[in-house]
Amino acid sequence: MLVYYLLRQAPLWTVFKCKPMFLKHPLRNILFFVLLQTFAFAQAPAPRTAVVKGRVKDEKGMAVSYATVRLNNTNLATFTESDGTYELKNIPHGHHEIQVTSVEIKARSQKIHVHKPHHDLHFSVTREVRDLNEVQVVQKTEKKEIETQGFAANVIETKAVATRNVQTNELLNRTVGIRVRQNGGLGSAVNYNLNGMSGGSVRIFIEGIPISTYGASFSLNSIPPANIERIEVYKGVIPAHLADDALGGAINVILKKGLSNNLSASVSYGSFNTLQASVSGMYRNASNGFTVKASGFHNYSDNDYEVWGKFVRNILPNGRYDYVRARRFNDAYRSTGGQLEAGFTDVKWADQFLIGYNGSGDYNEIQHGTYMSIPYMGRFSESGAHVLSLNYKKKDLLVKGLELTFSGMSSRRKEVVTDTVRWNYNWFGEQSLGLSGLPILRPAGAQQGAPTINHIRRNVSTARAGINYDFHPNHRLVLNHILYRIDRDEQDFMRSATEREFIGTRDLTKHITSAAYELKAFESKFKGNVFAKYYQQKIERLDPKLVTINGEQTRIEERASSSKNTLGHGAALSYAVIQNLFILASAEKAVRLPSEGEVFGSPGENIVENFGIRPEVSNNLNVGLRGGPFTVGRHKFSFSAAGFIRDTRDKIVRRVNPRLNDAVQTDPFENLGKTKSIGFEAEANYIFANNLNLGLNFSKFNSVFNMRYDPNGREYDYYNKQLPNEPFFTINANAQYGVKNLFVKDALLNIYYGFGFVERFYTTWLDIEDFRTPRQYIQDIGVSYVLPNKKWVISADLKNAFDKQAYDNFAVQKPGRAFYLKLNYTINHY
Amino acid sequence: MKRQLLKFLLCGAFFVPLTFMGCSDDDNKETPAPEPAEERWITVAGALMGTEPGDGNGGTVVYSVSTADAKNPDKSISVYDDGFAVKSNRTARLQSSEDGNTLFNIAYTGDNGGEFSRYKVNGGGSFTQEDVTVNISQYASTSPRWVKLFDGDKTGIAVNVANIAANNASTGTTPNDAFKYFRGTATVLALNLQDVLISGYKQYQIPLTAEEELLGHAIFRLDAPVLNKAQNKLIIGTWMQKRNPATGLTESSFTRLGSKAVIVDYPSLENPKVITSTVGFGDNSGYRSFNSFLATDGNIYQATQRDSKGSHILKINQSNEYDNSYVFSLDAALGVKDVYVDCWRYAGEGIAYALYTHDGTNQGYVARLDLNAKTATKVDLPYDADLDFGQYQGILVSGDEVFIAVTPVGKDGNIYVINRKTGAVTKGAKLVNKAGNHYIGIF
Repeated sequence: MLVYYLLRQAPLWTVFKCKPMFLKHPLRNILFFVLLQTFAFAQAPAPRTAVVKGRVKDEKGMAVSYATVRLNNTNLATFTESDGTYELKNIPHGHHEIQVTSVEIKARSQKIHVHKPHHDLHFSVTREVRDLNEVQVVQKTEKKEIETQGFAANVIETKAVATRNVQTNELLNRTVGIRVRQNGGLGSAVNYNLNGMSGGSVRIFIEGIPISTYGASFSLNSIPPANIERIEVYKGVIPAHLADDALGGAINVILKKGLSNNLSASVSYGSFNTLQASVSGMYRNASNGFTVKASGFHNYSDNDYEVWGKFVRNILPNGRYDYVRARRFNDAYRSTGGQLEAGFTDVKWADQFLIGYNGSGDYNEIQHGTYMSIPYMGRFSESGAHVLSLNYKKKDLLVKGLELTFSGMSSRRKEVVTDTVRWNYNWFGEQSLGLSGLPILRPAGAQQGAPTINHIRRNVSTARAGINYDFHPNHRLVLNHILYRIDRDEQDFMRSATEREFIGTRDLTKHITSAAYELKAFESKFKGNVFAKYYQQKIERLDPKLVTINGEQTRIEERASSSKNTLGHGAALSYAVIQNLFILASAEKAVRLPSEGEVFGSPGENIVENFGIRPEVSNNLNVGLRGGPFTVGRHKFSFSAAGFIRDTRDKIVRRVNPRLNDAVQTDPFENLGKTKSIGFEAEANYIFANNLNLGLNFSKFNSVFNMRYDPNGREYDYYNKQLPNEPFFTINANAQYGVKNLFVKDALLNIYYGFGFVERFYTTWLDIEDFRTPRQYIQDIGVSYVLPNKKWVISADLKNAFDKQAYDNFAVQKPGRAFYLKLNYTINHY
Repeated sequence: MKRQLLKFLLCGAFFVPLTFMGCSDDDNKETPAPEPAEERWITVAGALMGTEPGDGNGGTVVYSVSTADAKNPDKSISVYDDGFAVKSNRTARLQSSEDGNTLFNIAYTGDNGGEFSRYKVNGGGSFTQEDVTVNISQYASTSPRWVKLFDGDKTGIAVNVANIAANNASTGTTPNDAFKYFRGTATVLALNLQDVLISGYKQYQIPLTAEEELLGHAIFRLDAPVLNKAQNKLIIGTWMQKRNPATGLTESSFTRLGSKAVIVDYPSLENPKVITSTVGFGDNSGYRSFNSFLATDGNIYQATQRDSKGSHILKINQSNEYDNSYVFSLDAALGVKDVYVDCWRYAGEGIAYALYTHDGTNQGYVARLDLNAKTATKVDLPYDADLDFGQYQGILVSGDEVFIAVTPVGKDGNIYVINRKTGAVTKGAKLVNKAGNHYIGIF
């Protein structure tokens, strides 16, 4: 994945501005540039020229790769291969000076008199240690590269916040155009809204692999930012390599990439008995390329924060309300996980060959359903996953410019949902008593519904293969195929053994083939990317049935299957008007294939099957502007602004026939709905003297009902009206101030401030105050202290500093004021 | 906008006094004009669509007019423009006081699901929610089934059946027994409508006969209770379900048992007992409104739904048993097949009005039933193809007059006023509709 991005060419000026520690990609850019120029040069009449070859080594005799070798005062340049060799062609005869440069070495020049067709010229150079400031420059460049491809993309870097008490979901929530809606505290259910599209429309990937391979225990809820390199967010239009039927966008998590031998660990503790620990490390043997990467995390929280207000009430025996202030009591969360990968990197036969194991598990108590007005006792879920993986990556395979990547995963997931407590509970965690003084049975048998101990097992196989072929410096072909197969079976142990024999199984297979063509033109000012994705999905259903054959009851298995194929396509364009100012546009005809439930219905809910159901389609368009960083003296600023449209058709909804109603509902899902989302978002960042950093973003959209006329030709009242339950206007602001040399020389103190605003919105079509969320202003304060040796970082965070009632979802209060302390330890280059 | 303004001006004569009335609330003086001509507010309820036309899931709005206005075909009512939104996430379950001055609602689903509240009817779109509420969700879920008893607005009854499980369920007390039954736990709850309190509740399992239970029959749902003449028993409608004992799966088509009702003592709510008809073979749970009525003759009449032989009107005598000598098949009486009663209402002196469909379509019709003569005749109304009474909750009987809101989904309609004695039909006020919405009752 990483290499994929590295291969993409950054704008030319970044090549000259940045001082990358991460050599590969800017130098690659130089190569393209050079090749381009060389090509131009070759057009000119060339009388007598020569070839200069050689090798660049450091003081220890190690090859220096990716160093630029240039004929001074000309555009004639190349860079060294991984073995340190280079070859400069078309050198005119005469006296010249050839220079070798790289951020890893001290520049060095040698004079040469070219007078014969072939010359050998070797360099011995001195390595230089990089410093931290330069690292940040590189990181920005990498982020910038993705963000200026043309897609409506945001790259969230975790480096800056990894040492703080910040969860991954919080990080996403601060990003422009993303609204994370969580049903309570750490570990509770999360829904992501990207530019007005949410739920199944937004797909989440880990390293380009659908997150369902890993399950709930290895998710954005549990992976700490410290184990994440960056998160890429694509809104509405998704590049070909992230292939899934994502209608509204994709979030791709790139796990931490070791650059060198390192080890880091952190532990955070704070309010609500919340403990979060993470560790990650990497070792690479420089001589044989043997590499081991390991990371792990552990999260625990009681989530026993206080809730109050109109939704928090105990119901007295006579049915009257007693409004209370109470601590949540059935909301603990625990997750533990780890990943170990071993193999070889940067060896002749592979840039990366890693075999890995990822294991994770979680335990999650569920305090309430959609609304917190009824507290649950004893409902919880447990899940776990074992994932085996194989990753292979090789550049210049067989032909120069051809890159192959392959990822294969096999996962066994298990999930158990338990809900067996039969009584009503109040907010004090006590049994609710009825008029007779006896506890009252829950109306549906258990806390949320009927009693259940439901074991769900899933076997997931995922294979992804990708080829990038740079057949010319300005042209690239991308071919990608992903196979995703999931077998699911479930067993509810609250049902009798005979009943359990008659629970059906579902197998889903998805193939997504995508192809893209990428183009650069006008000195790389213009970048274009057109792509197509072909989706194939097959769902098999196997339902045991009892039939009477020759007067005897016989168990048979009734099979059915559904296949859906569909094509999506799109494009992304970027143009640099002036240096550092890009116009971006992207569009995609995105699809979402019908889910198993939507095709087969649900016998439990009496929804009948509909084999003819079509995929949901959305025509998504983004147009934006991205500028910066612009530097004026000690001031540095950057900004971006974008507008978007999501025109969704054939939305899958369930037609309602009240006569059949709740119990004998036999209506299918159908393609009936239409919605549209139009919005605007903007972001600005200002840095002063590298120690004051201010950021501001806002997002506003209108997500509207888009069916205009009813069957009688009458216009719907809701037509063009904001859909209920959409947080349509959000603002985020943050400030960071760094003080150097505080208390001790070379120490660094950072002070942080964060502000989040969410405009009030209605949660139903009825515009009545009772169903409207409150306007929210949440403020966080934090501080971190980097010790002089840079190995230790201590940080403290005060969240929701003014103890406001915070809500992501209507009638579900989020934690109030909370305090966390974190210790981080890092060693590099051991 | 212009239309709304015009409407506003037209209704001005009506609204202005209302506004004044609002201001002079505290002195409790007689309300000035428009005083309901016949002493009663007529409240019209409409259901907003949620995601699909006619689903009614967008919430409920109400609007009140005088009886004279309700009967005036020149009057236009648009609850969607001028009405008051009742606090319920989805379609509210409304009932009204006998004098029409109070509206009772139990919110259906949502954060306040199961919350009972009372609204004072002030006329027009003005309703005042009384500040006392009571929540029955702990007993009857956030989507409860309830009706008001015909006892002078004193009592509401909510019912629920939960957790239907086999006697040998693996987590039960006797997992190794042979299969005997699927049973759920029933709740019957009494709500004091005047004091706004839960006044009593009982929870129990209600067995069927051993043979029926061995076949897998179970009471899936209770609904639409009614008080008998002696006021010592409640007769509760049932919705039956059959599961295959060998698989535990619910069967969608099965040989139906005779219609069953549950009789419990009143007011103690104890001693549940099941009675079975040999005439009707459907459920008698109704849907969102009354389904059984105490008639002038002292007997109880109930309609059946999902009846394998088409809807019947069944009779329960004063000994609280089915009178199987009383056979009133609506298929036979109307001369059509597969009649399905969506909603009906006893109007007095053996006369009732039923909203029904037949032959498996959604096309709604209105019939006048004579319970004594066992005859039924289709009322002469304009039956639009989109007329669907599936969610209809409220037929109002006021004196000799029966009020029905007749609006196809998304089309304008009218209130129709039918004289129960003569059967004469009068077209009343126009009901202005909106795309996807429909009117669900008059209270």
